[in-house]
This record gives sequence, structure tokens and C-alpha cells, in this order.
Amino acid sequence: MDPDFRGDIDHHDGTSDATPGGYVEKRRPGELAFALFLTAASLFLLYSAYGISGFEALSAPGAIPMATTLVMAISAFIVVLRTAGLPKVTTETLAKDILPGTVIVFIGFLILFGLLLQPLGFVLTAGLFLIVAIKVLAKRGWGYTLAVALGSLVLIWIVFRVVFTVLLPSGVLPEAEFIQFFRNLIAAGAS
Amino acid sequence: METFLAILTVFTQPELLLLVGVGTFAGIYIGAIPGLSVTMAVSILISFTFSWDVYPAISLMVGIYMGGVYGGSRTAILLNIPGAPSAIATAMDGYPMAQRGEAGQAIGVTTVMSFFGGLIGILVLALAAPFVSEFALSFQPRDYMLLAVLGILLVGSLSSGSMIKGIFAGSLGIAIGAVGRDPLTFTERFTFDFQIMEGGISFIAVMIGMFGVSEALMQLQNVNMKAVRQKIDKIVPSFGTVKKFLPLSLQTSTIGVVIGALPGTGGDIAALMAYDHAKRVTKNPKTPFGEGAMEGLVAPETANNAAVGGAFIPMMTLGIPGDAVTAIMIGALFIHGLNPGPMLMIDQPNMFWFIVGALFTANIFMLIFGLTGIKIFTKIVEMPRAIIIPLILLLSIVGAYAVNNSITDVYWMLGFGVFGYFMRHYGYPLGPVILGVILSRLLDDNWRRAIISEREDLGRFFEGVFTSPLSLVLFVAVILIFVSQTPLWTAMKKRLFRKTPS
Repeated sequence: MDPDFRGDIDHHDGTSDATPGGYVEKRRPGELAFALFLTAASLFLLYSAYGISGFEALSAPGAIPMATTLVMAISAFIVVLRTAGLPKVTTETLAKDILPGTVIVFIGFLILFGLLLQPLGFVLTAGLFLIVAIKVLAKRGWGYTLAVALGSLVLIWIVFRVVFTVLLPSGVLPEAEFIQFFRNLIAAGAS
Repeated sequence: METFLAILTVFTQPELLLLVGVGTFAGIYIGAIPGLSVTMAVSILISFTFSWDVYPAISLMVGIYMGGVYGGSRTAILLNIPGAPSAIATAMDGYPMAQRGEAGQAIGVTTVMSFFGGLIGILVLALAAPFVSEFALSFQPRDYMLLAVLGILLVGSLSSGSMIKGIFAGSLGIAIGAVGRDPLTFTERFTFDFQIMEGGISFIAVMIGMFGVSEALMQLQNVNMKAVRQKIDKIVPSFGTVKKFLPLSLQTSTIGVVIGALPGTGGDIAALMAYDHAKRVTKNPKTPFGEGAMEGLVAPETANNAAVGGAFIPMMTLGIPGDAVTAIMIGALFIHGLNPGPMLMIDQPNMFWFIVGALFTANIFMLIFGLTGIKIFTKIVEMPRAIIIPLILLLSIVGAYAVNNSITDVYWMLGFGVFGYFMRHYGYPLGPVILGVILSRLLDDNWRRAIISEREDLGRFFEGVFTSPLSLVLFVAVILIFVSQTPLWTAMKKRLFRKTPS
């Protein structure tokens, strides 16, 4: 059996360096555009690397950046040439297989998450995110969504604040006071 | 004697023992749940454990690593979905066995063989690493540089994808690692005059983005995949079965250790190569390969666990990661102020022996957890992706934020997540990117040290390369890998093969 081709699911997956996804002999939708983008970006970075110290010396701070961006530009360009020569995958479209609506929506959610994290605080933002995300993905009733979302939120909050003692933005909720309240309770109980 | 005590550190501190156990247990689950990978878990964990001491943090990661590499076989056998990259080869014969109703036996053999492979990997690590590190003291800066280049090239050349994409990914990683102020001359590199870029891009943000967010986004496409239940009975394999596969498992373990020890290449590549090897050496399998041959289970499972021990060899002795997970662990050691490499082995040998002990313990835990409680595992795997994906995304954001308490890191992480998502779709390997980021500093420093010591003279530099046996071997290896990917090589091979039959 050809280890490179085991049906659609894990072949598209790309989680492994041994089988990095994509097709070897075919061009997926958007693949050429991506390769072109990489080439352009590499050339821009090469120009920027040249600006660091130019051809001043082999040991200059710009030497390795220039060498690596040059390799990037060349390899990206070779990829463009190779990809351009490959036949297209006829069964796939950009909107269905590469960048479906859900993925775009979730990227949007994540950007919103980043924007709201500091003003609203971790607990509220994460709660909102989980509720919306699970509602969208699971397509179940509000009861299920709320129970699962809030349940996991409480669990995560306890694990991070108590076990890992990670500092998260508190935002509008009086989180510190809340924790202190419980500390006082425990302290009062202990004495 | 002191060495022995260091190995036993894990057992003398119940807290560490517990963490290794919890790690292994969690690792098996993470490995078993498709969409969660060890690389993802370890990269997210770095940011959460950085306020801990080194030993507990490492204990947890070692456990997750060992358990996760093994755990992927579960879903590969039961559902034909490799739960972890290293289990891709396992599915080819494991699933047909499960369809025949031999899931229990398949899991049993897998578990024992993973333990066996893991053990060999650890033994080789314990025996070889001290010698390698002594040898490593004689390494010149140029040797380090060549090794780093070799590591990045190897991933691309040994994987089934295109090598040129691997080279691109590796150089991208080096470029990302170079962003910020140059540590030697304080010159700004790739900062585009943004003050925010001066400190560089947090490598943890890159890792979590590439392995957490991009993977979760990828999984969004198969949210509704349904699991198929298999019946599981008789788990513990008979001694006869184990004995029968002992010769093969020794060979495939060796493959595993060697591939693991090569810089850059890890368990997933080792497993596929071992599978190929088993196919070649097994002349008359009881059942053909691909239809449930036991050999097809033994080979990848011994190899991928053996690769764990192997991957630690270059990491501990040279500071060059053996695979993506050890690359992340090097990052974790950096955060704790340790600098992996030959000096760490000499200054703090206990650190090394502690890791050996922790790996050994994790291996035992893996055997215990693997042979018990299989029924519960199947239930957990059925946890719906509609819940897992939002949780991964949430953890990724928290993880990226927590390291520096900076929202910029979150955006970097998101950016690299989306970028990595496209890279996965179009067949660019992600391992070399992380390798490049981690090795960027080492490559840069050693290149400059090497060329300055040769008074900026390329001729003298190459004279040095050609007069030192080690540098020469490394240099030839780098060139060979390059040539093997060009049309020149195929033409040469054709000519050679045409000659032999005539």
C-alpha cells in the first residue's frame, strides 16, 4: 500500500512531517497563489535583509538573514514553477475544501477574542467564545450549549488560576476580590 | 553511584512520580484523540509550566511525550484514524485486524511492543549520550552550523512531501528566529522600525500557532465525523507472540533510535520507515501486509517509541533537537535558564540522568495504563469535536498570552496559526519551521564565530571543513541530500540501474 495515499481524511490532514498534506502530483485550489505569495514575501524579506548590513562582511548581522531569505525566495520560486506545471485537482474548490465558511468564521472569532480579552477580561471573553463556538459547531439546544460551555469554563479557570497560577486579564469582573473572598473564608475556617 | 541516584530522583519525590504518571496518562489520551497531538500539547504546556521548577515541568512533558506517541495507535486501530502523526503506519494493519474482531489483541501487542521499543530507545540514550557529549566538546562552530543545516534538510528529504517545501519551511523558521535585535551587535533585523518587533517574535507564539491553532482550524472541516465502535476482548498478548516478533522488533527499534537521533526527524518518519523495512524483510507473513499483518503493527510501534529516546540524544548532547517535540523542550529549558548542549551534560549531569529516569518511568506507566482501562479509553475518544476544537483554541490563546502577558503574542500566534493552516493544506511540513526558529540563534552565532576565526576568509573556512574529518562528513551529507533531490541524481540512478542487469 502506498503510505502517501490513505484516503481523503488523513491525507489532507498534514499533521505529520512524514506526510505533510497536499498532493504531490496535483495542484490544489489556491496552491499556486499561495506559492506566488510566498515568493513575493520572500523577495520583500530579502530586500529587508539586505538593508540590515548589506554586503559589509561575511560575519555581519545581516549575513544569515540574507542567506536564509535568498534560500526562501529561490525555493518558493521553484515551488511556483513546479506547481504551475501540475494538473489541477478537479474535485475540490477553494470555498469547500481549502477555506470553508466555518474556518473564516472561526478566524473572525479568534480575532474578536484577542480584541476583547483585555477590556472585558478573560472570564467573560472566554465564556462568550465557548458559548458561541459550541453553539455553532454542535448545533444543539441552548441548554446543552450553556451547560458544556460554562462547565468547561469553570474547569479551565480553576486549573489555570489554581494549578498553573497563570495571570489572566481580569477586565470588568472583580476576580481578585472573588479569590480573596474565598481565601479569607478558608483562612477563617482554618484558624 | 551519583548517576544512579539521579536516575532515581523521580522515585524519591512522590510529586515528580505523580507528574510523570499524570503526564503519561494525559499523553495517552491526547495521542488517542484525533486532532490533539503531542506537539500541540507540549507547546501549549510550556507557557503554563514556566513558573514551575524545571524538574516538575520536564516530568510532565516527558510523560506526555511518551504516552502520546503510544496513544495514537488506539484510534488508528479502532477507527482507522491515526490519533497522532506517529501512528499513521499503525492504521494500515491495525484497522484490518480490528475489523476482523481482533482489536483487543492488536492493542495488546501494540502496547507491549511500544514498551519494548521505548525501553531500547532509553537504553541507547543512556549509553550513547555521555559519549556523544564528550565527542561534542571537540565540535567546531562550523560543525554546529552544518549539523543545524543538516537537521532542517533531513525532515524534508525523508518525508513523503516535496523537499523544496521543507527547505522553504526551514529557512522561514531561521528568518523568524532572526527577527529583533541581533544579540551580538544590537542591530535591528526585520523589525521594520516597529518597536514591538525589537524583542523578536516569541517562539512559543509561533509554536502554539503552528501546532495548536492551525491544527484546530484544520479539524473544523471534519467536525461531524462519527466514530465506529469496535469490540474489544483479550488484551494481554501471550509470551509466545511477543517472542515471535522479538527479532523484528529489535531491528525496527534500531531504525527508530537512529531516525529519532538524527536531528530533526522524529517518530512519524521512523514509523513509516520501519513499516517499509518490515515489509521488505518479512518474506511470508501469516496475513498479507495491509490486511492485518501483525508485523505491520510491531514495526511502526516499536520504532516510534524507540525514536523518543533517540530524539533526546542530539537534544541533550548538542542542543540540536531530534524532532519537533524535543525542539519545544529545548525552548522550555531555555525559559528555565538552561542551555542544552555538551556543557549542560558536564555541568549538570543530574539533569540528564533525571530525564533518563523520567523517560523510563513514563515507559512503565505507559505499559500499565495501556494494558488496563482500555474500555474507558474508547469512551473518551468519542468526545465530540464540537467541544474539543473550541477548547483547543481557547487554550492556545491563553497559552500564548500567559508567557509574556502580552496581547501582541496572541496576534502573532493567530497569524502563524492561519499561515500554518495554509501550509498544511498545500503540503509544506511544519516541523522544519519550529526547528529553524529554535536553531536560528545557534546557526547564526556559530556561522559568525566560524567565519571570524577564519578572518572572514571563505577559502580558509572551506580549508577547515575539508581538513577536519567530522566537518567533511557533515558537509558531504548536506551536499548529498541536496543532490539526491535534483534531476541529476535520478539520471545517475537510471544509468547505474541500467548497467547492473546487462
